[in-house]
Amino acid sequence: MSAFLIIACVAVAAALLAFAVERAALVRHAVSGAPQQVPHLGGGAPQTHAWQRYHARYYPMTLLFIAFEMEMMFMYPWAVVYVAEGIKAMAEMGMFLAILSIGIVYGWREGAFRWQ
Amino acid sequence: MAVSRLSSLAAAAPAPVYAAIGEGAAAAIEDLFLDARLDRAASPRHAALLLVCGRFRDDDIADLCRLHDQLPHPRATLRWRAEALPGFTPDGVDLAPDADVAAALHAVYRALVAGARASEPALLPDEPPNPWRGRGDHGQGGEGMMGGVPYGRPMAMTDDDLRDGLALDAYAAPFGPFLSAFPPGLRLDLTLQGDVIQKLAVARPPFDQPLEAAHPLRLAARMLLPLGLPGLAERMLRRAAGLAPGTPAAVADLARALRWRGARAALPPGLGRIPGGGDVRTRLDGLLAAAGRGEAAPAPGAPMALSELLVGREWAEAMLVLASLEPGWLRRACRADMPHAPSEDAA
Repeated sequence: MSAFLIIACVAVAAALLAFAVERAALVRHAVSGAPQQVPHLGGGAPQTHAWQRYHARYYPMTLLFIAFEMEMMFMYPWAVVYVAEGIKAMAEMGMFLAILSIGIVYGWREGAFRWQ
Repeated sequence: MAVSRLSSLAAAAPAPVYAAIGEGAAAAIEDLFLDARLDRAASPRHAALLLVCGRFRDDDIADLCRLHDQLPHPRATLRWRAEALPGFTPDGVDLAPDADVAAALHAVYRALVAGARASEPALLPDEPPNPWRGRGDHGQGGEGMMGGVPYGRPMAMTDDDLRDGLALDAYAAPFGPFLSAFPPGLRLDLTLQGDVIQKLAVARPPFDQPLEAAHPLRLAARMLLPLGLPGLAERMLRRAAGLAPGTPAAVADLARALRWRGARAALPPGLGRIPGGGDVRTRLDGLLAAAGRGEAAPAPGAPMALSELLVGREWAEAMLVLASLEPGWLRRACRADMPHAPSEDAA
């Protein structure tokens, strides 16, 4: 029975593969040749490749999100042990927040709070 | 059987048409696409038929050939109210000026899908823009990232960014004259950083169109397309199509629909401001008010160069500003950006 199942699966997979290959051949016929590979610019031909580096404008916002998120991630376990640890935990959290706030001040300077 | 079933379903669907609009054809094409049998494709990749309509300049013929070859197979070309163009000679169908164009387009589409009509061959040679095969270490046509011509084209080179001075890659390319987002005939040489327009030069001005193409409701409808409101744009076009020139149109429901869809709120205040001509939002209001009074589109304000309006704008904003400009004013603004442009009298 299991051998029959394996043969059936292989047969179905082969049929799917044959169908995919046939469809791919059809698509290749539809998009063929150098004139088809020119991007549509309304008639013009591009002078360069469109593969280029550009500024991801959300980048400072992402950094800022990580700064706040790390803060909260550390605060949950800290809140559990705060009463037991006392002033030591308070000082550690103060140091941690001071370091993270440098990141927030940097984000502020970069204009991440200014929504455009 | 499944394939024939698919073919019959495809033949019953609206015919996807890309329109190459020439001089004097804008209003006729807009009215034509109100027909439910046709689907206006935003790019030739989504079309099966190329409709060539109006008069063209000699410079446009190479662009028309490129456009034709970008349609996927099977494809067909139809010419309507178009002059014979030397150099653009696909085995297309010539339609009579008073023909039922929508019916003819759909009939050709059905024949294409059924296989009764052969697809048109390419007009341009099947060659890359530069030879590249077999060159370079991996046969990619170049050396490293910046040298050579991988796949036949050079890589983009660095340039200063207008917004924050980062030296990233600039993309320079000619856009138009058959770009659906542009007024027909307008060809701009643009340099883009991301989606910000960095430099702009006008290569060819838009085509002259008859007075009916500048009806305020038509101009307002063209502004709604970049806002993503094609349904409301179609309502405006239908109302403009049935109007005699100078007749006041009922615009109260259209103004209400605009308000409810948030179109005015989506237009940033101050965008595309022209001294004496307001910004994009006030121009949209002015167009609706003029249509309600049966007047022509309001005076667009002091003359400016197109580059002053569009450089530094993001692509979506620039398309809104372009769509908001009155055609006559836009042609004058284009001339200001063309160093060797013929004067208004000579044109």
